[in-house]
Amino acid sequence: MSENSGSWSRRGFLGASAAGAAVAADMTGLNVLQNPVLASELKQQGKRVILLWLAGGASQLETFDPKPGRSTGGPFRAIKTSVPGVEISELMPKMATRLSKYTTIIRSLDTKNADHGGAARLMHLGRRDEPTVKYPDLGAVLARELGRVDSQVPDYVSFYTATEGRGSAVSQSGFLGARYNAMFLTEGNVPPNLRKLDEISDLDHQQRGELRDLLSKRFAAGRQSASLGSHNESYARVRGLMASEQLFDISKEPQSIRDKYGPTLFGEQCLVARRLVEAGVPFVKISRAWWDSHGQNFETHLELVTELDNVMSALLDDLSERGLLENTLVVTLSEFGRTPSINSSLGRDHFASAWSSSLSGCGVKAGSVYGASDDDGREVKDGKIGAAELFATIYRAVGIDHRKDYHIGARPIPLTDPGTKHVAEVLS
Amino acid sequence: MLFWQRPLLALFVFGCALANLLHAEELLPADATIEAAVDHYITARQKALSVEPAPLADDANLLRRTLLDMHGRPPTAAEVKAYQQNNDPAKRRELVERLMASPAFAREQAAAFNALLMNGTNASLRSYLTEAFRENRSWDRIFRELLVGQEKDEEQKGAINFVKARLKDHDKLTAEASSLLFGVNVSCAQCHDHPLVADWKQDHYFGMKSFFVRSFENGEMMGEKSYGQVDFKTTAGESKQAKLMFLTGQVFDEPENKEPDDKAKKEEKEQLEKLKKDKKAPSPPEYSRRAKLVEIALSPEANSFLTRSIVNHVWNRLLGRGLVMPVDQMHSENPASHPELLSWLARDLQTHNYDLARLTRGILLSDTYARSSRWESAAKRPSDELFALGLVRPLTPWQYGTTLKVAMVNPDQYAAELAGDALDNKMQGLESAGRSFTEKLELPGPDFQVSIDEALSFSNASRTSQELLRIDGGTLLGKLKDIADDKEAATTAVWNIFGRAPADEELQSLEQYLKARADRREQALQQMVWALLTSSECRFNY
Repeated sequence: MSENSGSWSRRGFLGASAAGAAVAADMTGLNVLQNPVLASELKQQGKRVILLWLAGGASQLETFDPKPGRSTGGPFRAIKTSVPGVEISELMPKMATRLSKYTTIIRSLDTKNADHGGAARLMHLGRRDEPTVKYPDLGAVLARELGRVDSQVPDYVSFYTATEGRGSAVSQSGFLGARYNAMFLTEGNVPPNLRKLDEISDLDHQQRGELRDLLSKRFAAGRQSASLGSHNESYARVRGLMASEQLFDISKEPQSIRDKYGPTLFGEQCLVARRLVEAGVPFVKISRAWWDSHGQNFETHLELVTELDNVMSALLDDLSERGLLENTLVVTLSEFGRTPSINSSLGRDHFASAWSSSLSGCGVKAGSVYGASDDDGREVKDGKIGAAELFATIYRAVGIDHRKDYHIGARPIPLTDPGTKHVAEVLS
Repeated sequence: MLFWQRPLLALFVFGCALANLLHAEELLPADATIEAAVDHYITARQKALSVEPAPLADDANLLRRTLLDMHGRPPTAAEVKAYQQNNDPAKRRELVERLMASPAFAREQAAAFNALLMNGTNASLRSYLTEAFRENRSWDRIFRELLVGQEKDEEQKGAINFVKARLKDHDKLTAEASSLLFGVNVSCAQCHDHPLVADWKQDHYFGMKSFFVRSFENGEMMGEKSYGQVDFKTTAGESKQAKLMFLTGQVFDEPENKEPDDKAKKEEKEQLEKLKKDKKAPSPPEYSRRAKLVEIALSPEANSFLTRSIVNHVWNRLLGRGLVMPVDQMHSENPASHPELLSWLARDLQTHNYDLARLTRGILLSDTYARSSRWESAAKRPSDELFALGLVRPLTPWQYGTTLKVAMVNPDQYAAELAGDALDNKMQGLESAGRSFTEKLELPGPDFQVSIDEALSFSNASRTSQELLRIDGGTLLGKLKDIADDKEAATTAVWNIFGRAPADEELQSLEQYLKARADRREQALQQMVWALLTSSECRFNY
């Protein structure tokens, strides 16, 4: 597996910088900016993505694409936003006032698949499975593209505390290899095995690692293999990752900040996400379940959208105040939306034909709205896109060319399916 | 769908022509030994490129490599010492024969082939394969049982899981069956004729799918209908009905099959529902397409796919790299590194009744298998595909688990008289314990990377310290605790964990480590042992 970016790969560059003193600290002395490939690679440096995964399928009608007054509209009103002419559900009053500052809405997703398992795979991989290639998910690609090889913090942190839908929330590094696996948290807010056991002192823990390293280096002399390299790289990252444990500890945050995010698990995890991206973690995913409201859709959304509105606006404000938002993209996404028709249990069912996603912060044209569904929200009227186009847009927003190729042996594997166009209209 | 780069096409066509030129008129005689043929062809290519191979690995290294490949475990210190002291020039052959006769050989082969054939599914072939390898069942027979094995038959029981586990998705079944069994990944031809490989058209993909499309799940059982076709759209947009076509391009006629009318279909459905409830298998069709596939794949005109693919898999397993890479791209435009060797081995396997043990033994006895994995020559390190030195291979999860467990047993328990069944029983217990210890590790494939989770878990999980680093009479650490001398303790640990004598500078570092912690010696011993267990030497087969 290798990268197809000519003589100047990111790895090559980082490798060179590691070997040749503190190059990264002082770029001015280098002529590298004149190299176009490298310049574009520099553009993605420091970029981060937070994905708010609304598991089970959030309703577009109760969030970003309300249809007030129609038979499909449901009981909630639409309210004006800070963008003239754009309305969203009254369940999102806080986001309504922030739309023009941070966010673009895409209202024209048509992703064809309305089955939880298959649709969740599609919206994690950005394409259909192929039997003999194991594709990396969005997080693994971003970890690879935006992370640093020698990073002291995790590249990909994923929270999925609920059990509903967890099995469908694909987490796979695929052909990129285990280096880009998620640090996957299913219990609590702190990853397992980041803290040393009490029975060993910190100094012994460190020196034990050094002894291990000494033995392994002796073994590796005269032997060459990528797997062998990765073994020692992984152990070399242990101490650094352990030091990042405090990032998961929100008790280190002032109470005033914690209050803004609120006391819910979702709120706390989003606060952890902010601490992580602040420390340089390129990709964090927070999953909130379970939006699958076949019955009582409106009670469910009253609760979940209210929380989303509160937490998302707190997160965006916080990132913005810290100057992080210009380099951090926040995405809301589900496996699909919900049917415009309201069923006899006052629920909405699975619906992949005309639903919404939002992008905020890094690289997006705040206040823009792309695409439209028809009056009742049954079909896309304008600007139809699928998973591939959405992924391409996410990649572009953080400075990654979505047309680049990876290679498995001689076989080129494009980052998005060939011919995919990103949605240029929502990018700044 | 995936696109292939045009410039590569030219390169591959050139490579193909080259391969044909290289393909000598005459292969080595059929009565040469496998080991001689292997070394002949491998050496010939090295010579042609003026590459001097690495020397043979030393006894301790070669014993470890052979035991890991054959039994999935490393040797004990006592076994290494006994092997080193044995001066019989035929000791390597005797070793391979002895290991082959043990039930552990069948278990390890079953584990390896199960991982190959069932990775990514929820089902297992391990118990079936263990039985099959125990009696050295021929590969053509195993192949047949994987595709048409009967659940009622004691010997074939479980084999059909290969198909059953993939029945929910006929495309997956088609792609994986043809990749794993025939070394040919035709899935690119699903959407268009393969742009790079002239051999493969959409017709091939859908032709292969036709063999599987009538098979279906019925509750816990599976059945095969006597009707059903594959329809597909060509890239030109034309609707087409697939013909029953094998990878050779041969098309097969079959008895006429009429789609039943709605009434008959309804009856059939009701009947299947009842069978599902009763947990009974639907009766097989008079004409089975899967049985037809088996017949074709074993016919003289077509059996090179099956044969070359299994030879490549066995070679890949033992040498760490196939003669053709990737192993699912065995086509005319991706030649083998050693085409004549592949042909010779394939012919040998066919003329010897698809005997995998024979093939395995031959490879294990070659000098090519036995080369050192360390490149110490001043010359440039030769590329992997020349097999001029041993390749470093990550252990499988179960091998690493077993390795840790075997290493952590008090060496006094491996008494010299512990041999044969008694030794195997002990090792089987350690295998099971090891499996549970490392079950979460990923199965290594090409370009395998060790995950940070593994490093974190070995560094900080309480299970590591409580289970692996336990100090009691039965463990290595229990033994080390009673050795007062630091040097002796370190020497014992290296012997037990690495299966070799320590080098002077290693010993110095370890001794120093212990000495600096004389006030907490037990902890120091645990830490030293941890460093040995997690070092690359323990994690890899080299």
